[in-house]
Amino acid sequence: MIEVQNLTKRYGAVPAVDNISFTAHPGQVTGFLGPNGAGKTTTMRMLTGYMPPTSGRALVAGYDVFEQSLEVRKRVGYLPENVPLYRDMTALGYLMYMGEIRGIPNRRDKAYEVLEQVKLADRANSRIRTLSKGMRQRVGLAQALLHDPEVLILDEPTIGLDPLQVLELRQLVRELGKNHTVLFSTHILSEAEQVCDSVVIIHRGTIVAQGSPSELRSTLERGGRVFVRTNAPAETALPRLQELAQVAQAETGLDGVIITPADPNADPRPAIARAVIENGWDLIELRPLAVNLEEIFLELTRAPETAAEAEPTPESEVVA
Amino acid sequence: MSAIFAVFKRELALYFRSPIAYAVAFAMLLFLGILFNGNLAQSVAFNVSVAQQGGGGVTASDLNLAPALITFLMFLIGPLLTMRLLAEESREGTIEVLMTLPMNEAQFIIGKFLAVWSYYTVLLLLTVVYHLILTLVGVPDAGVAFGAYLGAWLYGGAVLAVCMVWSAVTEDQIVAAFLSAATVLVLYLAEVAAVSLTSSPTLANAAGFVRELGLQAHFGATLANGIIRAEDIAYFVLMMIGALFITTRIVETRRWRA
Repeated sequence: MIEVQNLTKRYGAVPAVDNISFTAHPGQVTGFLGPNGAGKTTTMRMLTGYMPPTSGRALVAGYDVFEQSLEVRKRVGYLPENVPLYRDMTALGYLMYMGEIRGIPNRRDKAYEVLEQVKLADRANSRIRTLSKGMRQRVGLAQALLHDPEVLILDEPTIGLDPLQVLELRQLVRELGKNHTVLFSTHILSEAEQVCDSVVIIHRGTIVAQGSPSELRSTLERGGRVFVRTNAPAETALPRLQELAQVAQAETGLDGVIITPADPNADPRPAIARAVIENGWDLIELRPLAVNLEEIFLELTRAPETAAEAEPTPESEVVA
Repeated sequence: MSAIFAVFKRELALYFRSPIAYAVAFAMLLFLGILFNGNLAQSVAFNVSVAQQGGGGVTASDLNLAPALITFLMFLIGPLLTMRLLAEESREGTIEVLMTLPMNEAQFIIGKFLAVWSYYTVLLLLTVVYHLILTLVGVPDAGVAFGAYLGAWLYGGAVLAVCMVWSAVTEDQIVAAFLSAATVLVLYLAEVAAVSLTSSPTLANAAGFVRELGLQAHFGATLANGIIRAEDIAYFVLMMIGALFITTRIVETRRWRA
């Protein structure tokens, strides 16, 4: 369980993380999603006790990350973004060292067990410098799993892996999510959609949306923007679509026309479809804009004044 | 406690696998060996002439040759042994994992310090061979030798702790080494500065203070000659504790700034 309440981190006057609140539940993978520099790593560093928050608080496994840092550290497994390892040690030696600092009693058995879990047991005695990027990532993950932590915090674990390794790692994270609290950061939206039970979207240090991937999608489908593609050239189609009473604004984008509805609670699609037919064009595509997380993300991180329009329901908390 | 021991064990093992540590040991033993040999030849010649006049034995100045030379060399040995210690952990980012383990900064720093001090102790013990050679050619004063070795051991610990501060300050090992060497030289030469202060009309009163700040004031005239004074031991021990405390604080504040 991770509970974050009004957490803020400032570097000087610059807020890296600004007043964020969210909860990650046990038995779930919570995706922490945002572009590079959104504040994901800073948040994770605060949750692992590496860095103290400027204000606000966070409870990890029931302990305050600032007041009871050592208790938190005993219960958290952390894989930092760049997977720092001692390159001159063997995979096994590294895990034994980490286990000794953590005071794990039967650390040799435990080290083999986690190496087995990340499918690296055959390279246990290889020096880390000789391992591939994907293998090093798995050594880092093994380190995070070594002490059976309640909470796993993985900072962009799939970055720099080849496609096959990415698939394996996602599979592993999903399995781990069944009996741990997993907080998993990524800037790849499709990844969050595949791996996570719930998603927190962070942008410029603030949370712009949170919920399950399907909740977020349905939220945005209602009253969100609509994408339409016809065989007519955009210059002809735009003014005609703009004339419709149900349309607040029509603009070109994504190889078609993006339409902002005049009334967020009414679906403009029937009117658009009629207009296309009446004008004698062929309708090729007509759908809500936000059908995948990429587009949900585009919707949520639009300029603040327009993003506010895409905020129809309370369960997706939009702070932008 | 187990965390200190874990860090200590890994670091000490690293010294025995590190080319720099062997290079330091080699250079030190070579330098000492040449000087010792020259000194011994001289002493033997002197003893022969003394014996011809009815005297005998090895002169006291030979007994602290190795420890005294090591304290002089500390401005090289200290930086070379410590520069990697913390700078590398910061540069490689491995400190980020360590600082999220259930271990506080002080345990981490103490483990590292004990490792480098232990390696230094091994270096120092290697030079005991010179003392053994002396026992073959004469009857050296064991008390003087003990005092000198105790002094060199504490002196080394203090220097290594001071050098660790710089390894914590910067991620760049070369910068850490140069700043450490400069600091140790300043502490080594405090006595010289004190002498020049004595001749100044306004600052003469500060001379004694500056002299006492220096490393040699607590070794050269006392411990090196077998005179064990509580104030000298307190100086070295306090310097170690002070430097380790500062190092711990620097590593802590790094997290707040990072």
